[in-house]
Amino acid sequence: MSLAVRIENVSKVYPLGKTSVQALKNIELAIQEGEFTTIAGPSGCGKSTLLNLIGCMDTPTTGEVYVEGQPISQLKDKELTRLRLEKLGFIFQSFNLIPVLTVYQNIEFPLLIHGGFTKKERAARIDALMEEVGLQPQAQQKSNELSGGQRQRVAIARALVTQPRIVLADEPTANLDSATGERIIDLMKTINRTHKTTFIFSTHDPQVMKQASRVVRLKDGAVLEA
Amino acid sequence: MQVLELSSLIVKVAFRNLWLYRLKTVVIASLLGFGSFLSIVGLTLLRDVEATMQESIIGSVAGHLQMYSKKAKDDLAIFGSTFMGRQDIGVLEDISTYRDALLRHPEVQAVIPMGIDMGMLGRGNEMDESLDVLRAALKGGDPVIINERVEQLGFQIEQLGRELAERKKVTQDQVEVVKEEADLAKVKEAAFTESVARGDESALQYLETRIAPLSGEKLPIYLMYLGTDIDLYRQNFPKFRVVAGEVLPPGQRGIMLSNKVREDQLKNTAARLFDKLNKRVVKLKIPIKGDAENLRLVQDLPRQYNQIMAYLDRAEAVELHESLKQLGIPATEGTLIAQLVQQVKDFLKVDDQNFEARYRWFYEQIAPKIKLYEISPGETILLRSYTKSGYIKSLPLKVYGVYSFQGLEDSDIAGVMNIIDLVSLRELYGQMTESSLKELQEMRSQVGIKEIAAENAEDALFGDGAAATVESRVEAPTPAPQATIQVKPVIPDMFDVTEVGKGLALNAAIKLKDDVKLQDLKESLEKDLKSQGLDVKIVDWQQASGFVGQFVVIVRLVLIFALGVIFVVALVIINNSIIVGTLNRIREIGTMRAIGAQKSFVVEMFLAETAITGLIGSCVGTFIALGLLIWLGDYGIPSSHDVVTFLFSGPRLYPKLHPGIILLSPLFVTGVATLASVYAARHAAHVTPAEAMQEKE
Repeated sequence: MSLAVRIENVSKVYPLGKTSVQALKNIELAIQEGEFTTIAGPSGCGKSTLLNLIGCMDTPTTGEVYVEGQPISQLKDKELTRLRLEKLGFIFQSFNLIPVLTVYQNIEFPLLIHGGFTKKERAARIDALMEEVGLQPQAQQKSNELSGGQRQRVAIARALVTQPRIVLADEPTANLDSATGERIIDLMKTINRTHKTTFIFSTHDPQVMKQASRVVRLKDGAVLEA
Repeated sequence: MQVLELSSLIVKVAFRNLWLYRLKTVVIASLLGFGSFLSIVGLTLLRDVEATMQESIIGSVAGHLQMYSKKAKDDLAIFGSTFMGRQDIGVLEDISTYRDALLRHPEVQAVIPMGIDMGMLGRGNEMDESLDVLRAALKGGDPVIINERVEQLGFQIEQLGRELAERKKVTQDQVEVVKEEADLAKVKEAAFTESVARGDESALQYLETRIAPLSGEKLPIYLMYLGTDIDLYRQNFPKFRVVAGEVLPPGQRGIMLSNKVREDQLKNTAARLFDKLNKRVVKLKIPIKGDAENLRLVQDLPRQYNQIMAYLDRAEAVELHESLKQLGIPATEGTLIAQLVQQVKDFLKVDDQNFEARYRWFYEQIAPKIKLYEISPGETILLRSYTKSGYIKSLPLKVYGVYSFQGLEDSDIAGVMNIIDLVSLRELYGQMTESSLKELQEMRSQVGIKEIAAENAEDALFGDGAAATVESRVEAPTPAPQATIQVKPVIPDMFDVTEVGKGLALNAAIKLKDDVKLQDLKESLEKDLKSQGLDVKIVDWQQASGFVGQFVVIVRLVLIFALGVIFVVALVIINNSIIVGTLNRIREIGTMRAIGAQKSFVVEMFLAETAITGLIGSCVGTFIALGLLIWLGDYGIPSSHDVVTFLFSGPRLYPKLHPGIILLSPLFVTGVATLASVYAARHAAHVTPAEAMQEKE
């Protein structure tokens, strides 16, 4: 099995006024393809920073991050963006849907940015995904008319529509009640199994952590347990 | 297809945001709409005014191009520069060389020699006119008519006496007034009146030389005149129209009076006041009551009774007396003259109620009885001008007709020019023509002037060996001139027609076959003439016309400035709103960036918002502008001022719709606004994808 993500001696330093903050210290981490990994730790431990680096939204100060074997530290914004579009899917804590668009259009959005799909191809993918996440009846509803759980399902469908190898989720259940959160994690797990998509998500909910196949614990910017 | 769907997505998101911040959207859209409106209306009117002005200027005096000497000290300004006074534009020594050179170009249709200058019109006063009429009556010998004229004269003398009494109260020069009173007392005597009625020459001369000057000469009128080849002029300037009389025949000395000059300066004062009031009260609908200018005119009107009285004979006076009575203006006690004076004064007291009727009545009943214009076709005027060397040159010129420029009848600017023949212009300008040289020769031989060389001057004056004797000087009264020099007018009123085609001109109009390549042609003609040793300046009609021609340039600058201000304000608001809007939309932008949208996508999204706002606003502005222009095209924009009449080439401007301006203005406004928001949009694109992750609920 090949590696989905490899992190080699990565440090991240943020300038903060005249001083600087070291968010990550010499991280070494490898995540296999198809893993269902959670990154856990208290607030300010560097979870988000690590997720941002894996998500190609940021580059490391030192060290290297390989996403699907591709080193990212030397990439330009345009290339990082392309990488995010093609290889990664994102699920956000606050769902981050585009309110004016319908469920269908929200899911379609990455495909339109990507380009190269016919309308039929797009419809086939979106319909299949909507069925998978159980949202077909709501296809033409505006996203702001949906419940929190439904919105997160839309977000999951949107994250998957480009068929990414890796899906990153930042506290996907934090804004949901525990029952809904559980169902969302179940859904993610099912997709992980059927599509062999690697899931990396952050959480500090112990119930959610239990569902993960692997827990990476961070503390003060260093890996405590991988 | 894909691009289209992505665009429709962008547009959808843009609309959502515009709706979300609708107040801001309305403000920006209104500004851009106003910009489009102003741009369409402004540019349309400018283009129309430019076209009509071009028609006015090219078709009246300037032609397409004007040529004048390179040695000119001032710029040619046909319709006057902003500074008063005569311009020095040099001379074109022999117009034929220039003309022949220019006519070799296939584009040139005609070269019309010209010269513009200013002179004074000699005028007498009312008493002079009365005396002329009396002399005519004496020649006719009808005792009734003679009596009337004498009575008329007596009336004027009485007026003069009253004026003098007024002057005596205020003047410091009492001696002078007493002397004048004595003169007046003499002519009031019955014996003197009788001798006038008999036609006694010394009595008449006494009146002409001592009494008439007391009422002062009328103010001189300055006349602008354009000397030209009248035939060539008429062929090339289609706006020229004869209003009265006939066209100045080629080969004749003479003048065509401008109708506007005649109406404004040479018309009977009472009639002129009626005209002015009619224009203001009836045409412009300004009531007399409450308007200072109207009130002034109304107050002035009854004072002009003598402008009517002076021209009436007894029969006319009786007739007017009766018809005024019928009109409901009763007479009081006294002689016929005294009664009529009172009636006429009452008639001339107008107000808002009676004005229109009185105006009509004046033209129906009074105007045919009086001399409505000081000068009419068929008469001869005396034009005085300063020659280029500073001497005064007088020239009698027959008035052949009165003309105006079609569509520019009311314009002072176009109406200021009287037209004379080119030969007379040369004369007034101070160039010696063959006939004026002959006249000078005649005068010299009459008074015995001999040509003396400077070195022989002393000998000739004091020579012949005569010893200088010193005589004691005796103060003696200056004797009256014993003899006058009789100079027969040797300046003929005709000249050889070919004379205008050669010789001096001050400038020349160049008429082209079409005006497409005006600017290029201007330079190539100038260069070509220079290569032949003819150093001239050639300017286009706009430049040649002086400050009027610059008007459009100035208005265009003002319009561009106004549009610029609107743009700057709109752009500041647009940029500001995008930057502020970005703060509210960090998560949305961040999310889009995170899931793979490039920076350019974000930029496009913001530009789309501006473009949509601009398009909506400017479409609304365009429709309003279109509506206004269509309405104005029907109704016309009335000219409020003489300059405007000239620019409009008529009393109203009917705007035309120019598809180019109407289509391009909103696109341009939208385009500029969109481009100007690129900076702010790029600023928005700097939102990092990581910011989408941050929780700022």
